[in-house]
Amino acid sequence: MQTSILLIVFLPLLAAIVGGLGNRALGNTVVKSLTTGALFVSCALSWPIFLGFLGWFGLSAETQVVPVMTWVQSGTLTFDWALRVDTLTAVMLVVITTVSALVHLYSWGYMEEDPDQPRFFAYLSLFTFAMLMLVTADNLVQMFFGWEGVGLASYLLIGFWFRKPSANKAAIKAFVVNRVGDLGFMLGIFGTYLVFQTTSIPEILAAAPGMSGSTIGFLGYRLQTMDILCILLFIGAMGKSAQLGLHTWLPDAMEGPTPVSALIHAATMVTAGVFMVCRLSPMFETAPVALGVVTFIGAATCFFAATIGTTQWDIKRVIAYSTCSQLGYMFFAAGVGAYGAAMFHLFTHAFFKALLFLGAGSVIHAMHHEQDMRYYGNLRKHIPLTFWAMMAGTLAITGVGVLYVFGFAGFYSKDAILEAAYARGTGLGNFAFWAGAFAALLTSFYSWRLMFLTFWGRPRWIESEHIQHSVHKTPEEAGEDTTGGYHPHESPASMLVPLGVLTLGAIFAGFLFTGDFIDSEAFWGGSIYYNENLIHALHGVPYWVKLTATFVMLTGFAIAWFAYIRDTSIPGKFVEQFRLVHAFVYNKWYFDELYHAVFVKPAFWLGRQFWLRGDKGLIDRFGPDGAAWAVAQGSAVAKRVQSGYLTSYALIMLLGLVAAITWVLM
Amino acid sequence: MDYSISLRLIAPEILLSVSGLVLLLVAAWGGQKTGRLVSILSAAALFGAGLMLFPTLHLGVVGPDTFAFGDQFRADAFAAFAKALIYLAGIGCLMVAPTYFDRLKAMKPEYPVLLLFAVLGMSIMVSASDFLTLYIGLELNSLAAYVLAAFLRNDTRSAESGLKYFVLGALASGILLYGMSLLYGFTGTTSFEGVRVALSGEMSTGMLFGLIFVLAGLAFKISAVPFHMWTPDVYEGAPTPVTTFFATAPKVAAIALTARVALDAFGTQVDAWRQVVIFAALASILVGALGAIGQQNLKRLLAYSSINNVGFILIGLAAGTVGGVGAMLVYLAIYVAMSLGSFVALLMLRDENGDALATFADISGLSAKRPALAWCLLALMFSLAGIPPLLGFFGKFVVFQAGVEADMVALAAFGIAASVIGAFYYIKFVKVMFFDDASERSVADSTTAHWVLLVVTTAIVSPLGYLVTPSLGDLTDKAASALFLLP
Amino acid sequence: MDYLAQYLPILIFLFIAAGLSAAFVFLPMGVSRLTGAHNPDTEKLSEYECGFPAFEEPRSQFDVRFYLVAILFIIFDLEAAFLFPWAVSLDLTGWPGWITMMIFLGELIVGFAYAWKVGALEWE
Repeated sequence: MQTSILLIVFLPLLAAIVGGLGNRALGNTVVKSLTTGALFVSCALSWPIFLGFLGWFGLSAETQVVPVMTWVQSGTLTFDWALRVDTLTAVMLVVITTVSALVHLYSWGYMEEDPDQPRFFAYLSLFTFAMLMLVTADNLVQMFFGWEGVGLASYLLIGFWFRKPSANKAAIKAFVVNRVGDLGFMLGIFGTYLVFQTTSIPEILAAAPGMSGSTIGFLGYRLQTMDILCILLFIGAMGKSAQLGLHTWLPDAMEGPTPVSALIHAATMVTAGVFMVCRLSPMFETAPVALGVVTFIGAATCFFAATIGTTQWDIKRVIAYSTCSQLGYMFFAAGVGAYGAAMFHLFTHAFFKALLFLGAGSVIHAMHHEQDMRYYGNLRKHIPLTFWAMMAGTLAITGVGVLYVFGFAGFYSKDAILEAAYARGTGLGNFAFWAGAFAALLTSFYSWRLMFLTFWGRPRWIESEHIQHSVHKTPEEAGEDTTGGYHPHESPASMLVPLGVLTLGAIFAGFLFTGDFIDSEAFWGGSIYYNENLIHALHGVPYWVKLTATFVMLTGFAIAWFAYIRDTSIPGKFVEQFRLVHAFVYNKWYFDELYHAVFVKPAFWLGRQFWLRGDKGLIDRFGPDGAAWAVAQGSAVAKRVQSGYLTSYALIMLLGLVAAITWVLM
Repeated sequence: MDYSISLRLIAPEILLSVSGLVLLLVAAWGGQKTGRLVSILSAAALFGAGLMLFPTLHLGVVGPDTFAFGDQFRADAFAAFAKALIYLAGIGCLMVAPTYFDRLKAMKPEYPVLLLFAVLGMSIMVSASDFLTLYIGLELNSLAAYVLAAFLRNDTRSAESGLKYFVLGALASGILLYGMSLLYGFTGTTSFEGVRVALSGEMSTGMLFGLIFVLAGLAFKISAVPFHMWTPDVYEGAPTPVTTFFATAPKVAAIALTARVALDAFGTQVDAWRQVVIFAALASILVGALGAIGQQNLKRLLAYSSINNVGFILIGLAAGTVGGVGAMLVYLAIYVAMSLGSFVALLMLRDENGDALATFADISGLSAKRPALAWCLLALMFSLAGIPPLLGFFGKFVVFQAGVEADMVALAAFGIAASVIGAFYYIKFVKVMFFDDASERSVADSTTAHWVLLVVTTAIVSPLGYLVTPSLGDLTDKAASALFLLP
Repeated sequence: MDYLAQYLPILIFLFIAAGLSAAFVFLPMGVSRLTGAHNPDTEKLSEYECGFPAFEEPRSQFDVRFYLVAILFIIFDLEAAFLFPWAVSLDLTGWPGWITMMIFLGELIVGFAYAWKVGALEWE
């Protein structure tokens, strides 16, 4: 098992290095085969470990720490590279390697015409390595290494099409916003080391309960140590997982290629924050205030992102806000203490959200890179396989299912989260329950809205500039034929196979694993904090609570059906009626504008001052420019003195002699 | 006085002088056609003399055993190290000359003979432990050098450079001689040892005058600012093989001599001359760098570069410690390789008509035409600029280290900062050769001798050179200790 | 002050010398001006130099052969100058002194032979 763990983590790195450096020298096919092959091997090695923890098929596994090498030994600060694999990590391993392998495969088709394919695949593999490093971290510094590694890979991949200014902007935005969160994370790590004198996660978790109630002084206040540490760490999680306040980068990150959105901005990287909170759950359990913050932010994000999702037109942005919202669910699940439920939702969400993104990619591929849903319509007959895959994803995310019989993936995980929030019984728990329930309604609405706009109705393709380019017609020329004569084509097999696999995941992931993830303390084996009482209460909630999710899901579906199938004038009328509300939501609650005014503009102003006054006016003027000027002047003087006249040479020699003597005599 | 021991100690000098005299007669009777033969024999004589140094150098012999003729002459490890460098540089300059002079139909046998006498003079200089020995060596070297500078006597620039060198050299000799006579007058002795003893304690004004005059005279030979004015003109005007010679061997000799005078004869008055040397070091670094920046002519640029390098070497002297002198010697050895290499490269830069590619405009785009030559020049220039991992960096490093260890942090810091200015024009070479559009001038093939020298010197300054730095450090440490025998 | 006082005679001597030389120059000029008739013509105004008529610039170039001979003369002249002290102190320096001088002379002879052979001693 040790060897396989090492292989799982380092194969992608190896592939990334070889593929990235080999690049054009190796050629597209070699690099693609290499990276994809490496990922499939990793994936194949990960599943037995996961199944071993489940105890299925007679397999078994136990918590392992594989040492790699000594990293830092400096005074009391020592830590090693070590790969820690327990149940929590195993869950992440299968999620990461599976989705990554599928996304690699999918990219064969999706990136077919791109000129820089080796670079793309190398980045993807590099990302996978960093993510694996993050989830196998045995200490906080190693986790931070992975944390920054995925940030880097995310930056590189969002800006993959670097000739596109908007992609560059989005990449920088993602990086900068993440820095805010990373600062919190770093302070959290520093503080943890300060308090616990170690960065080793098991040691910290073991010592955390003893620290409960201790206080530290900061700026004259006495603060709860554990609350402060956990909130700082959670700020890091907020940045990476795009929670309310630090969420603005995620929708913009959709500028990256769609497979990237599926892998990084849906299934894996953005869930790193949830993973971290779960990994440190025994520590968070000693910090009630921090848990309250986690619950509140999670619930608020879940609601807030869902509202925005209902108004967006870009198919990828809808799914991006949906991701944001689903991450909110995971956080408030963790906040109320149902870490198993949080991880379960992370697990199922990875499948159906990756599926939705890859499906959206397939639609975009079919529609000649058009991403605006207003120009879709009636696609279900043209790309049926993609349609059915998306349908499975939608059924999973909206949580379709019949209690005690069968449900799609989201049905189990989302219901468990809502029930846990209700079962917690606190005020915040109730708030989270209602926010979550309302968000579920919105989720259902925007998901079906997406489906109806894309796959039903009449075709509105010709209004898209991309389609116009493709068929060389304007809407006027096309006349009655709103397809413009365009023929969407189903994606190649390399894209459909991943869709198929993920469809299976979206259908069965919930049903198969709910027992272990939610109810089995043995399965988790102490890798997360397991609240027995809460799980007990979770099963004992009233029936109306259990049915709430199903009820709101149906309501959302009904609204969407009325508005987008039965009477398509309803949305227009609604917008007319509630212009202000719509503008507010459509413009993402004006977060970008607010940040622009409060942070970006002053920062630019400050930067400009530093640049013009400080850098150019002071440092350059008296530094490099001044020095260069002085050197040029000196050179001119030296040239003038070197006149070529013997007499002046002799004079200078004698002057030098006289000066030397004068100096020594004085 | 046991003459046999003394004679054995000056065996290299005897060999050189006898060879010089014999070859002079060969030149007289054989005529111009013997030029090549005399060159080869001269090189052989230098090589033979070099071999004789080996035991002293290897064993690091210092102390009274090395004193010849009643301590007028010292054949110690320090002198041996300097001589080895001088002889090697001399051999190099003999190798490159025939190609150059043949083209001008001026390959006279007098060139190797004069070079041999100049080397003999230097050999005596670096071993001098008496002001009279010093003066004889210095003049023997200078007189030969004046003639060498004007060797192409029909070329006005060569003649001009010879004359300038002569007039200013005579002035410098006068200053030196005046200083020596003052010292003799106030101390009653011409031996370094005697002067050292007499100078300990409070110095009279006359002694101080003598000390400064002597150092000023020597500063002329090493072309330290402000006694450097002749350097660019003479280097530019003199035939390039001669310039190569001037930039290498006499520098070694004069610096070694200055170190011996300063630390042995004036060793009890270090504080009196240290500030003067520091000033000369700083001024040389600065003026050398500033002067070079404005140059288009490559030879002239390298002349300023040599002034610049002298400044760095003087930092080692200013330190006034064993480490400082050792660093100085290390720097000198590296400097000789770099200088020799870059001048040989200049010699190789000729077009099909044999005219020199003398300016930056001429060598632009060289990398396309002569990639090997361009890459060698690149290594040499980066090394001169002191960019790691080339050996020039190591030279600067040890010198600065010695400065820092002698509590002259400010001086070392200034040196480091000023070496940035120097980097400008060295890197300009590279920029012009590799990134500018190719000039219309073609570049002719070079002879094997040139290539051998270029490749050897490039290999020395390349990171390969670090292989020898430990043993080089050993040698220089032993050699440097020769100057610190007395408290 | 007494330090400077030592130089007083020299100063006085300088003044006297300057005064005398000025007198020698300006006195004849003044006397002739006052006594003689002032009637210049071309012949009278032209320079008078050792019987040669002043045809050309006084800074005209000499034949380099003059220098060559002069330099060779000085070298051998100095050689002779060295011989006198050597000769009178030979009883002190003994055999080493004798051998040294012979070597010195031998070197000079080599130089002389070279100069002779390359034709430096021939006027034409």
